[in-house]
Amino acid sequence: MMQAYLSGVGESPLGSVPSMNALELQRAAALAALDDAGLTLKDVDGLLTTPIRVAQWAMPVGMVAQGLGIRPGYLATLDVAGASGTAMVHHAAMAVATGQAETVLCVAGQNQLSNVSRDATVAQLANVGWASPEYEAPYGPLIPTLYALVAQRHMHEYGTTAEQMAEVAVAIRGHASLNPNAYKKEPISVADVVGSRMITSPLHLLDCAIVTDGAAAFVVTKAKKNRSVKILGQGYGFTHAYIGEHDHIATTGAVQSGRDAFKMAGVTPADIDVAELYDCFTITVIAELEDLGFCKKGEGGAFVEGGRIRLGGELPVTTHGGLLSAVHPGLAGGMFHVVEAVRQLRGEAGARQVPDCELALAHGNGGIIGIHCTLILGRG
Amino acid sequence: MLPPRPLDKFVLPRCESCGKFHFYPKPMCPHCQGTKLAWAEASGKGEVYSFSTVHRAPTPEFKADVPYVVAIVKTAEGPHLLSRIVDVAPEAVRIGMRVKVRPGSGLPVFVSAD
Repeated sequence: MMQAYLSGVGESPLGSVPSMNALELQRAAALAALDDAGLTLKDVDGLLTTPIRVAQWAMPVGMVAQGLGIRPGYLATLDVAGASGTAMVHHAAMAVATGQAETVLCVAGQNQLSNVSRDATVAQLANVGWASPEYEAPYGPLIPTLYALVAQRHMHEYGTTAEQMAEVAVAIRGHASLNPNAYKKEPISVADVVGSRMITSPLHLLDCAIVTDGAAAFVVTKAKKNRSVKILGQGYGFTHAYIGEHDHIATTGAVQSGRDAFKMAGVTPADIDVAELYDCFTITVIAELEDLGFCKKGEGGAFVEGGRIRLGGELPVTTHGGLLSAVHPGLAGGMFHVVEAVRQLRGEAGARQVPDCELALAHGNGGIIGIHCTLILGRG
Repeated sequence: MLPPRPLDKFVLPRCESCGKFHFYPKPMCPHCQGTKLAWAEASGKGEVYSFSTVHRAPTPEFKADVPYVVAIVKTAEGPHLLSRIVDVAPEAVRIGMRVKVRPGSGLPVFVSAD
């Protein structure tokens, strides 16, 4: 789309990291990404981050710049919820394309697990505003309940089954088992998923994302480097703020974001070698596969069967282990999908490498399926 | 700006220009962009558009209610709203089930209309 490249990626330690606070996690990820690009903090003239929830940062990007000791000439705090990870790439590329910066560091993450207990995280998330404080929260929905409504409706309209949703969790756990940095690596079966505790029907515990610590970073540059990845297309899609305001909840804004991203990149879903899809819940992945055009609407459940989204299948999905098994520290969760797409395109994904990976799609979903950003990346 | 929602009857925001209902409250009518909005009594009838039985309370205040059914109700007037289906066994709730607002004041919840 524009002359900008993804030239470095990095992660902090992931999972349970009680020894590091949010800024320390972000510093670790930032330095890893800069080192990966052959750059240092001195080279950074642009900075993007997201808000965090574990501390009261009135000015997140200022906190990060101060923590890293840098004075970038372009800086912003970006928040399109779970779509922030993919959207950061686009915003950084725009800064480069318009001459605002030559080296934009994107970094975010926090100690979502270690800062407080998991119960406290569940309670905090229930009151952060994903459910309308006045018209939804008083009825007692969990965040997973709001996605369960989507799943129940999808099952009703298209006959999607609990076992098909479970296959998403199984495939992604299998990928996590090949990622040394993933938090949950022990393989699981469909029976394990449907046999796990029912949280909010039809979603079982293993249909839901994990809660972890962690930070991710990537560097977007004007200069093309040896291992740079091309940014080929992007698109956004928005349908609603609260789930009760969406009249067709089995369909997401990924219809629009995918259509625009594919058009800009000049490719089709059949051309994509690996799809790093936002996987906050198993149903999210099924809806995204349909809405991005990898299969017809309503056929996402059947699409995931038979190992099609596993490594070695027709379309490996979320090959790092995703939010379901690898890492989910909050708004930064979708950045890891970008990091993984870059690693796949460079051939640096180790045991989980997709052979001959030339085109990757990374997709972020935010709110309750309300806001989407799709990114298409190509080998440099 | 709309005043606080009255809770002694079932109401939805309605545009006085086009006469259509909407939900949730917005700064202008989503149908005609009119700004003369008021709470207006609605039928209280609808059907279950989707639902989930919650087995794990988000906060301690909901623990005593578990398991409970959170649902999106499609009202007869058109707008969807999140609510609860009460006075019915969770396993009996179905998408498409006809429901009506439970009489009385307070946060609106729905019961089976059959």
